[in-house]
Amino acid sequence: MSFILFAAESTEEAANPILPVANEIFWGAVAFFSLWALVKFVLLPPVLKVMNERDARIQADLDAAEVARSRAGSAASEVSDQLVDVRAEAAQVVDAARAEAEAERATLISAAESDVAALKADAEAEIAEARAAAMSGLGPQVAELAAGAASKVMDRQVPLSSAQPVVDRYLNNPN
Amino acid sequence: MSVLANTAAQAIELAAEAGDADAAKATAGASSAGFAYGLAAIGPGIGIGYLVGQAVQAMARQPEAAGQVQTTMFLGIAFTEALALIGFVVFILLKFA
Amino acid sequence: MNALLLFAAEEEGGGGLEFPPIENLVEWPAYFGEGTIFEFNKIGLISLLALIIPTIMFLASKKELVPSGLQNIVESIVDFVDKQVILSAIGPEGRKYMPLLLSIFLFVFFGNIFEVIPTFQMPANARMANPLILALVAWVTFIAVGIKAQGFGGFMKSSLFPPGVPKALMPLVSLIEFISTFLLRPFGLAVRLFANMLAGHILLVTFGVLCIAVWKASPLVILEPLTFATLVGLTGFEVMVSLIQAFVFSLLTAVYISLSRSAHH
Repeated sequence: MSFILFAAESTEEAANPILPVANEIFWGAVAFFSLWALVKFVLLPPVLKVMNERDARIQADLDAAEVARSRAGSAASEVSDQLVDVRAEAAQVVDAARAEAEAERATLISAAESDVAALKADAEAEIAEARAAAMSGLGPQVAELAAGAASKVMDRQVPLSSAQPVVDRYLNNPN
Repeated sequence: MSVLANTAAQAIELAAEAGDADAAKATAGASSAGFAYGLAAIGPGIGIGYLVGQAVQAMARQPEAAGQVQTTMFLGIAFTEALALIGFVVFILLKFA
Repeated sequence: MNALLLFAAEEEGGGGLEFPPIENLVEWPAYFGEGTIFEFNKIGLISLLALIIPTIMFLASKKELVPSGLQNIVESIVDFVDKQVILSAIGPEGRKYMPLLLSIFLFVFFGNIFEVIPTFQMPANARMANPLILALVAWVTFIAVGIKAQGFGGFMKSSLFPPGVPKALMPLVSLIEFISTFLLRPFGLAVRLFANMLAGHILLVTFGVLCIAVWKASPLVILEPLTFATLVGLTGFEVMVSLIQAFVFSLLTAVYISLSRSAHH
């Protein structure tokens, strides 16, 4: 209760605590309008200037980075283009080499085949020769044998000279 | 609340009986000042609670809009709070002026 | 708690909770010039400090491309006012009001923050003078901006005669609009700041008084850590309130300017 009485006492001399007081308005106005003027003309412009400069700088850096990135991107696409070209070229080279190898192989094979054919022909010729030789060597003996066999069968002497042409004809034309 | 009102009324009666008009006035002022502020605080209390709750919900749903929501929230609080503050001014006026 | 305190006070014989009259909390003796309009007291001193401290901060901060130390603080303040107040309330074209809004922000904040600075312990804005000046400046500014942007007739028309209201209701609506736009806006601005700071100041004083009372009341001294912790916590809260009130005052000024700029109400 004591403080209520105290307050009641002091209301008589004191002004309303809510109403503004002239001297405080005066000093407040002086301070605020000075601050406003100072901020407007002295304090703020350099700060804003440096902040804008920094923003511009950062923006420029970002732009440069963007440009560099797009350049890097185009370089990369160029490289990949080149890579595609190189791959195509390599494929072409490989194809050409393959075709060449194929052709060489074909020629080699055909050469080998012709060699083989020649050898075969030689061998056949040799065989035929050998056979002919054998045949020709066989003739007198066969004639002798035939003549002997005929003599035995007919009980009379068959002259070799008459057997010889028959045998030769037979041997030369066995069918 | 009625108990409080009764005690306040009793205090005023007591002061009036004692023949001290100023004290009676001061007591009446003090008790009604308490009522004024208490009543003035209810609405804005609910209002600010609801407002901030909704703002938190909005920020949770859209965290990327948090800055905008926050600014609007402070604006809303400022307007809602003004009612409580007028109640406070009335309190000061009743109590001290 | 109060009953206990009163009980303790009675026991001790009148030493207990004695709340000082409000004049002792908000009215300060003159340093010089008593009785004149130049009477200079603590409020005037804080107002001058709210001019001097930002000035020194801005002048002493270096202006380098890579900020450091004080320059960081100064630039964060400017950036905060730019982004949170101007861009969110008006938009990029509101940057020309930057000096005004920044001055309001700084003046309100430094006027408030002396609430928690030892030896001052008084927010300059807990007196009606400074909020009144700032509110009048905001009032004049938004009216001037409105008249400049829409012309006198256009501004009056857009602020007093909202479209889509029936003819019969127009006088009533106009009256309400007039009161809310031209009277309640500055009143609300001033009272919001003033009452917030006065309430905070009284809150801190109350808990300070409570701490002293508990300290004096011997059986209750065990509660001292609690009351003191509350006092410290409330001091932190008041720092936050100081900042928020500065933000809200400049934001509302920006919002009113923005409303005046656009014809659409």
